[in-house]
Amino acid sequence: MSALRACLIAAALARSAAGASPQACAPCHAAETAAFAGAAMTKALESRSTILRANPKLSLTLGPYSYEIANSIYSVTDGNETLRVPIEWAFGQGSAGQTYVFRRDGKWYESRVSYFSALHALDLTLGADPSPRTLAEAVGRIAPLREIRQCFACHATNVSRSLDTLVEGVQCERCHAGSHPMKKLGALTTEQQLDFCGQCHRTWSQIAANGPRGIANVRFQPYRLAGSRCYDAADPRIKCTACHNPHRGLETSPAAYDTKCAACHAAGQCKVATANCVTCHMPRLDLPGAHQKFTDHRIRIVRPNEVYPDY
Amino acid sequence: MTRPLHLFVALTLSAHAQTDPEDLLKRAIALHQAGDIPAAIQSYQQYLALRPENPMALSNLGAAYARLARYPEAIVQYRHALKLQPGNAPVELNLALAFYKTGQTELAAATLEKVHRAAPTELQPIKLLAECWLAMGENKKVVALLTPVAEQRPADLALAYQLGMALVRDQQPERGQILIDRILRNGDSAETWLLLGVTKLTARDYPAALADLAKAVALNPNLPEVQSYYGQALLRTGDPESAASAFRKALDANPYDYTANLQFAVLLKEDEKFPDAVTCLRRALQVRPNDLGARYQLAAIAFHEEKLDVARRDLETIVKEAPSFTEAHVTLATIYYRLNRKPDGDRERATVQKLNAEAQAKQQQGLNVK
Repeated sequence: MSALRACLIAAALARSAAGASPQACAPCHAAETAAFAGAAMTKALESRSTILRANPKLSLTLGPYSYEIANSIYSVTDGNETLRVPIEWAFGQGSAGQTYVFRRDGKWYESRVSYFSALHALDLTLGADPSPRTLAEAVGRIAPLREIRQCFACHATNVSRSLDTLVEGVQCERCHAGSHPMKKLGALTTEQQLDFCGQCHRTWSQIAANGPRGIANVRFQPYRLAGSRCYDAADPRIKCTACHNPHRGLETSPAAYDTKCAACHAAGQCKVATANCVTCHMPRLDLPGAHQKFTDHRIRIVRPNEVYPDY
Repeated sequence: MTRPLHLFVALTLSAHAQTDPEDLLKRAIALHQAGDIPAAIQSYQQYLALRPENPMALSNLGAAYARLARYPEAIVQYRHALKLQPGNAPVELNLALAFYKTGQTELAAATLEKVHRAAPTELQPIKLLAECWLAMGENKKVVALLTPVAEQRPADLALAYQLGMALVRDQQPERGQILIDRILRNGDSAETWLLLGVTKLTARDYPAALADLAKAVALNPNLPEVQSYYGQALLRTGDPESAASAFRKALDANPYDYTANLQFAVLLKEDEKFPDAVTCLRRALQVRPNDLGARYQLAAIAFHEEKLDVARRDLETIVKEAPSFTEAHVTLATIYYRLNRKPDGDRERATVQKLNAEAQAKQQQGLNVK
């Protein structure tokens, strides 16, 4: 029996007991699972929100509607009537914020207000209706079943149609199961890798065909990267894993990326600086309403007063 | 001795009655008129075995098949009848109807055009031809065909409805509104709400369209195309599950509803139910054989199924025919990269960027004008 097969069987057995958790893979991949335990992706979905436990009462008034989240109960009132629903899921681990999902009358809803880490408070969810006409609309946006399944598919692992088998957060199996077996992931071409990571972070083709246009797409890194002048679908030096190790938390030191740039660009090529390339060539841009800056993955020479380059 | 003689006479008479062609035909017609269609078919077949060259009997047999929705068999009989008696307008009309029912809308329209040319004032071929062209999305042709006829017959609400639908779909809401008002004067009807809903759908006022179309569905859920448009409004207002249900109803009523087939196929494709999606798309293409949307979806499915060369070939043809079809360029670029054809991928990607830039500039211009 090959080592790989033994490993897969061990993982499958462990999974049936532990539910696709990193522990299932740890016996064979100790370093990766240990590092991955701290990665933000593992906390992309929570049924018991860490943020809400740390903030037992959050409130906000938006126009005629007042919002409160206390003990994971989401309440909205217009002064006359109050709607209360228990929060079932918290999406996002809080590096930018967290949005809440609940069911009402058999339908899934996305909360109209979200927690934003930069504010340490609630504010309007990105893309939410700015002026709801009724209390029912003010609660949040109805998320169609197929859309909510997509949300879970990216924020959780082992998602089936019924969501019964769901495991919170992105765990090993989310990337290493199915059509991309473990051994092949690292061997994906640049284009295949952009498509793979883009399943959740959005591919060039998704955004190019359907938008959104303008600054709203700055958070879709594979799309932005593919628009870079230096992007070459056949060059492995520009694929996602050339700069990021998905098994670890995000590296936030600009200097750490210099060696990645140097893989293509000779020292002295830049007349402005010799270090921290990304601070100029991959600027962090404000996304209105997100209370968060996003690193623009469209690598370029940024001109003063440039219009956000799309397409 | 007498008994055997009687029996012989009876047997002879009975055999004569069954094999006399004229009696068989009379019996077939009587059964047909009485509504016993399977027995009528049997009698027509017996008659035609003896007199195979009778166009009337062939046509009647075709009509009997059509009554049982056995349209392919009906078409064979009508065609045979027309070979023997070319230009028989009622048979051509029936043939066109059978073509229409089997989704061969182009053939139906071509047959009806012939009938219409031979008898330009006959109303039935005009209405049927308009119906075919509406199904094919040939709205301008419908407007040209029906405008003079509707002027002569202002009381004909069916004509007003067809012309109104064509005008609304052809982005002529002001002219369409005149006809909607005419229909409205005759009371609340599903047709009126459908026309109003389609007007709003065309103007991209989706919530208002949904409200109108819901009323149309409530008044008459079986009105042709109502479920199809209702499904589109549901889709545009973010309720794909209900939209899928509406499209299913539309296809139950008319398996060759182009829009329902196309839109339902897109939903099936998203659910990765590719064989079902392909079935719908093939039916959509039967109604509109060169439809770019359906052809693009088929190519996209081939791409998802990793049939890269099939998808590439089809998309190359599509972008040649429709150079500004952004989605087709997007998918083609991705396929070229997958096939390690980087220069081609780069070229397609550059085309997409140019098209998107042009689209945004146009949108911006529109905003500035407003």
